[in-house]
Amino acid sequence: MADGTLLQLRDVTVRFGGLIAVDSVSFNLHAGEICALIGPNGAGKTTLFNSISGNVIADSGSILFRGEEIRHLTPHEISARGARRTFQNGGLFPELTALENILVGLHAQIDSSFLGLLFGGKSVAAELAATQQARELLDLMGIGAMANQKAGALSGGQQRMVEIVRALATNPPLLLLDEPAVGLAPLGRQQLATVIHMLARERGIGILLIEHAIELVMSVADRVIVLNDGRKVADASPEEVRADRTVLEAYLGHA
Amino acid sequence: MDRRLFWLVPLALLPVPLWLNPYQQYVLNTALVYIPVGIGFNLVVGNLGLLAFSNVAYFGLGAYTSGVLMAQLGMPWWMTIIPAASVGGLAGSIASIPALRGVRLFYLAIMTLAFGELMRWTYIRWEALTGGSMGMAVPTADLLGWPLDSDRRKFYVFLALVVLTLTLTDRLMRSRFGRAFLAIKDNEISAAAMGVATDRYIVLAFAWGGAVVGIGGAMFAISVGHLSPVSFDLTELIRQFAIIMVGGLGSLIGAIIGAAIITVAPQVFISFPGFDELVFGILIVLVILFLPRGLSSLLARVHPAFTDRFYRG
Repeated sequence: MADGTLLQLRDVTVRFGGLIAVDSVSFNLHAGEICALIGPNGAGKTTLFNSISGNVIADSGSILFRGEEIRHLTPHEISARGARRTFQNGGLFPELTALENILVGLHAQIDSSFLGLLFGGKSVAAELAATQQARELLDLMGIGAMANQKAGALSGGQQRMVEIVRALATNPPLLLLDEPAVGLAPLGRQQLATVIHMLARERGIGILLIEHAIELVMSVADRVIVLNDGRKVADASPEEVRADRTVLEAYLGHA
Repeated sequence: MDRRLFWLVPLALLPVPLWLNPYQQYVLNTALVYIPVGIGFNLVVGNLGLLAFSNVAYFGLGAYTSGVLMAQLGMPWWMTIIPAASVGGLAGSIASIPALRGVRLFYLAIMTLAFGELMRWTYIRWEALTGGSMGMAVPTADLLGWPLDSDRRKFYVFLALVVLTLTLTDRLMRSRFGRAFLAIKDNEISAAAMGVATDRYIVLAFAWGGAVVGIGGAMFAISVGHLSPVSFDLTELIRQFAIIMVGGLGSLIGAIIGAAIITVAPQVFISFPGFDELVFGILIVLVILFLPRGLSSLLARVHPAFTDRFYRG
């Protein structure tokens, strides 16, 4: 992976019974690259996402993350290796506060053990340090004032921010964003675009993004992959994809 | 408000036995027995959010482990506490198996309920150890040679065990372990995506809950002095469920309030046998109608220190 390839998919196929949800999809994602995954409903975008994050196990093909095969790993193993995701319908824990949500994001990094906690000492210190770190992350994103509010009580935009901060808390090299702009006002979308751009350019995070908000895709993506009926039908720059006839057909039907 | 002020509560309880008659002392001891029982039950149902009804199994196993080790092997009571906790914890891990296989809601409730009934059947059948349905007498307990021959003496030992189980569980709940339990309750898939090995934490919550309830069982054994299978039937399960519902699901303070109320309230109707079940029923209905988060939610309104998660630093 000397060329900076972060994620490499080769002929990934996912079947649900007789239905082929993802059909032999291959692509690479580099560090610092923003790649958008678009396509009509039912094209297999979220299923492809789920196969990368371990929520669905691909039937065949290979998924290499930093050179390691992750196709059979569980979601928490993949997350601990540094591929983190957000969820389409909001993956926050509504009953936990914003701060606690971030702390769950840090879970795998907190060096505390069961017995260590029961009998005091270093584990308690590790917990306090993590709490401090989570507070700083919230402050950094300008939502420190919401730290002790339940996540379920935050506005849609704030929830989206907390979810992204939570996914980023462990400094993951790969971020999978499943429709992050849903329910955001135009201003919120602009802020989101700025954040995504900053994460890729300044921190070198590879970002894979499912998005229906086409203007967001066109403004942030370096590359656009179009899925239709589970197959990859285009993989090019936003400008090229916009001009591509097969893409138009995918959205308008097969006629 | 500093959370360390909570230590004033057990300190304030120290002189209380001086004002109690023997019967009142026994009722207070029973309330203390039910605090760990409520803590363990609440951890699984309230915090982890899984509808597991095998709590009475851990309670009975803890009680019989303690009683049998004393009666059959002549072990002193204080040495049976850790075995009782271990057996309770092991039973908890076993009861978590259906949950690991994805069984949830009513299905999990029924399967874990069956586990509890299976244990009761075991107490009846394994007569050589348990005395069967006639039950068994529990020898006099002692603490490092100091005989616990009065309810007043038991009170101080029980108070110490309650403070211990409460403090340790509180620490656990304020750590990544407790947050993992709560995250699993809120959104299991998202918890896994955050790096939480959900299966491991489900087993852990059941095991710790079972261990704490097992300690409650060991306390129960010497508090009543006689163990019989009827003490671990479905009525007992309803009583324990009432504790966490009335006190407040997922709340440590709720387990204390619930244990106190469910133990003391039936005393009002002591001369009307059978009324205690009615009292639990009415209490559960009233609390669900007017305080769905239990009586502890009233305290939480007074001050945030009474909510179970309150991060400083």
